[in-house]
Amino acid sequence: MATSSGKQINMFGVYGLNLKIEEGDIKIELAGDGKEKNYFRKVGDESVEKKIYADRGEIIVSPVPPVNLPVNVSNHLMIEFDKSIFIEPGVEQKIFIKFPLEIGVFLSDEKDVEPFDIFTKTKLKYTLYGRPEDGFVCRWWKSEVYEKIPSIEKLYEGVIELKIKNNYNEWTEINKIVFNTINMKIFYKDYAYCSANLEIVKKSIGKTYFNEKIEGMKGAVDLYLAKSRKLGISLVKEIEKEFFMERGFK
Amino acid sequence: MTIWDILKYKIAGIEIEAILKFIGAILIIVIVAKVVRINIRRGLKDKLPDATVKNFEKFAYYIIIIIGFVASLSIIGISLSGLLVAGGILGIVIGFASQTVVSNLLSGIFLVIERPIGIGDAVRIEDVDGIVEEIKILSTTIRTWDGIYARFPNEKVFTSKIYNYYSSPVRRFEYKIGIRYSDDANKAIDIIKRVLEEHPFVLKQPEPIVFVDELGESSVNLSVRIWAPSAVWFSVKTEMLWKIKVALEKEGIQIPFPQRVIWMAK
Repeated sequence: MATSSGKQINMFGVYGLNLKIEEGDIKIELAGDGKEKNYFRKVGDESVEKKIYADRGEIIVSPVPPVNLPVNVSNHLMIEFDKSIFIEPGVEQKIFIKFPLEIGVFLSDEKDVEPFDIFTKTKLKYTLYGRPEDGFVCRWWKSEVYEKIPSIEKLYEGVIELKIKNNYNEWTEINKIVFNTINMKIFYKDYAYCSANLEIVKKSIGKTYFNEKIEGMKGAVDLYLAKSRKLGISLVKEIEKEFFMERGFK
Repeated sequence: MTIWDILKYKIAGIEIEAILKFIGAILIIVIVAKVVRINIRRGLKDKLPDATVKNFEKFAYYIIIIIGFVASLSIIGISLSGLLVAGGILGIVIGFASQTVVSNLLSGIFLVIERPIGIGDAVRIEDVDGIVEEIKILSTTIRTWDGIYARFPNEKVFTSKIYNYYSSPVRRFEYKIGIRYSDDANKAIDIIKRVLEEHPFVLKQPEPIVFVDELGESSVNLSVRIWAPSAVWFSVKTEMLWKIKVALEKEGIQIPFPQRVIWMAK
């Protein structure tokens, strides 16, 4: 249940400065008279309280890339498949996998979008992709591989539509995929959704990237742009559209 | 009087044409120096602290101006040979006097090029542990773990053995945990693995390893090897040992005190 002066009645969306959202064991509430508002959020046993002073502005509840909790140590997400898949040379195949959901609550006005609370219901675990001396720390998640959009617990997981194209001249076995989340374009209706690609270019080398538009879905708030604005820096140089998986797919 | 005549007119023995050429050359040198300065600023601003970038850009700017100015003097007929002799002698004097400074300066440049350390890295230099706060053109500053600032001349940094704890994305640490001989070591290993699995930053891969390492005098010693992201390595290390101890004791496995069995003669 979500009630507010918001424009959309589900968990994700834009709300006014008085809101009350209750979905499963998630409770978000912003209430108060005048400029002083009290923010309260509870997920399971964890609760957070903050004060906000505002008389205009909005609250945005949006999925964010799942690399912020408990603290941000990485911008990479690894999804391990429950079983290996094999792709024939030249073949293009679409599959669906699930990713762990982190939910961000943002304060917004005409000039600024400010993240002020991020939470998740998922188990947090990190791993290393590559070698200890030059690999990438990644948020780790395990997913089954689906042929069509799977049913999900929408406040727990999102769906990635993954197009795999084998441009290499040998059969390729894949049991994990790594993304750079700085360019992770998340969309939502009542659940989070991404469209991504893996192009196998050589033996054990592939590039992954996200598609920037999905018809009929609303784009999530770009957490990195919000953060960069807060820090007064430009992330333009740091945003790389593709991540090269150079340490294999197994 | 034509323009040509005006250009040939002499002021203090120097033709106006030569003076104009000299001014033009200086203007070009200043423009070149400014362009170099801007490019140095843009190229290094994300890699080095502001103070170091300013030092570099100023250094490059004035070196170009001085060299350009001296080279342009020949346009207005000032001979460089006298300057070179005087400059040579002065250079030798300054060279001897500033050996250390130059050595530190060159070491600073090589530190920037080779980048064995960066701002914010946790390092050990000459038995001093801490975080790199600044890499200036002549010196490097380390903030030790107890908050004291240690300044190293760059020559010292460059020629010392440097341990950079942050240059790898992950880092391993180890605990030795003793359990009683009467306890089930396999059960203890399972419990420890369960505790490790619960922590987000105990990495899934490389997998943590738990094994019986030694049959000690008073205990069976288990070795626990854990990989964690370098950025949070220390907090994971301080957190996990107590969690393991609590979990083991909850399951009835105890960490024994040193003990000795004495057999009494009848």
